[in-house]
Amino acid sequence: MTNTFKVKVNGGPELAVDATEGTLLEALEKHQLEMNYHCRSGFCGACRSTLKSGKVRYTTEPLAYVRKGDILPCCCVPESDLDLDH
Amino acid sequence: MSYSTFNQEQNNPLTEPMFLGNSVNVARYDQQKHSIFEKLIEKQISFFWRPEEIDVSRDRIDFDKLTASEKHVFISNLKYQTLLDSIQGRSPNIALLPIVSLPELETWIETWSFFETIHSRSYTHILRNLFSDPSEVFEDIVINEQIKIRANDISQYYDDLIFYTQLLQTHGEGDVVIDGETHTITKREIKKKLFLCINSVNALEAIRFYVSFACTFAFAERELMEGNAKIIKLIARDENVHLTSTQHILNLWQYGEDDPEMKEIAEELRDEAYEIFMTAVKQEKQWAHYLFKDGSMIGLNESMLCQYVEYIANLRMQAIGFDAPFENQRSNPLPWMNKYLVSDNVQVAPQESEITSYLVGQIDSEVNASDLGDFDL
Repeated sequence: MTNTFKVKVNGGPELAVDATEGTLLEALEKHQLEMNYHCRSGFCGACRSTLKSGKVRYTTEPLAYVRKGDILPCCCVPESDLDLDH
Repeated sequence: MSYSTFNQEQNNPLTEPMFLGNSVNVARYDQQKHSIFEKLIEKQISFFWRPEEIDVSRDRIDFDKLTASEKHVFISNLKYQTLLDSIQGRSPNIALLPIVSLPELETWIETWSFFETIHSRSYTHILRNLFSDPSEVFEDIVINEQIKIRANDISQYYDDLIFYTQLLQTHGEGDVVIDGETHTITKREIKKKLFLCINSVNALEAIRFYVSFACTFAFAERELMEGNAKIIKLIARDENVHLTSTQHILNLWQYGEDDPEMKEIAEELRDEAYEIFMTAVKQEKQWAHYLFKDGSMIGLNESMLCQYVEYIANLRMQAIGFDAPFENQRSNPLPWMNKYLVSDNVQVAPQESEITSYLVGQIDSEVNASDLGDFDL
């Protein structure tokens, strides 16, 4: 089973993200994307993104309210290829 | 309808709405309707800190070196923070506790308010260090026109809810004449006031606080007033948790996951809720203008702060289901802010700041032979 998934942000190019290496937020930052964040541990919700397709798994349970269709990249990793709006 | 501190009516807290159902009787947490509030309590308590743990003594030297316009920014900002926490240290308790119906939410509100009182105490800690007599600064908070405009806008929603709740709990539903004015009291009317109040608090925690944080951290970016910045960093971490709680309440209502009547009200008053946010944005921009009236400082000026207000408003409004109102302000104009808002970077290690009141190890562990004198074997 592969741990590397293709992640598209704001309709940009597909970026390779290894789900075993840190959170989705960290992975996208490594790709030089400017990400919104504050707490980086799931309680403030500032990194909130819209998940258009795909599946994520939370490594820490988010305490911020996650609205339908949203994800918090600071505390999750991809479980499939993703298409996000951030 | 009067409030009872121990409601003897048997009720099931799992079926009560968050507010304006039966008042809470047994403070039990083995079963919870909205367990998120207990998780927030645990998170918040794990963040416990005390102002005295942070050494602010170097700040006085820095403060003396600031220019007059920088001093104006620093002190005005502290006054504003003092105002915000003066309100928040009492209002959630006074306004929300009389109408809360879930034990976990009741305890969250108490925890929330308590932490705001820690914040209030830390402003005194900061000011005592800067001035031999900080009275002038405190006294100006109730006179300063710029601060009064904000105070009024924040407190009016609380005051309105408190007044109507008092009327409901003393007179019950119906018309009540007070000083020649007729007030029509219905539960639905109070729910509307509650909805607007929570939106106003949400805007306060979401936007107003962050404008003040930006000013504090702008000084710290220049390695000035760092003791103060350490304290505000801890405050910012707490405020993040508080903000999450009001966002939860608003979203639970909006999605119909709590009181169905509140879902209707959330739809009915959507435009007013939007306006509360936009008014806060407008006022914070005016505040930025006032702060920098005598000149800007290195790293921060009026226009940057206004851009930050718009950027943060976008994030916060999307969190409660509005579209981002400032489409051309999607990137963060003050990227350095984030490093102060990351919770992992906050470290409370009292021994580092060499404080005398560090409590660990204060239990007398010395044992003398005389202590064992009355032991028989």
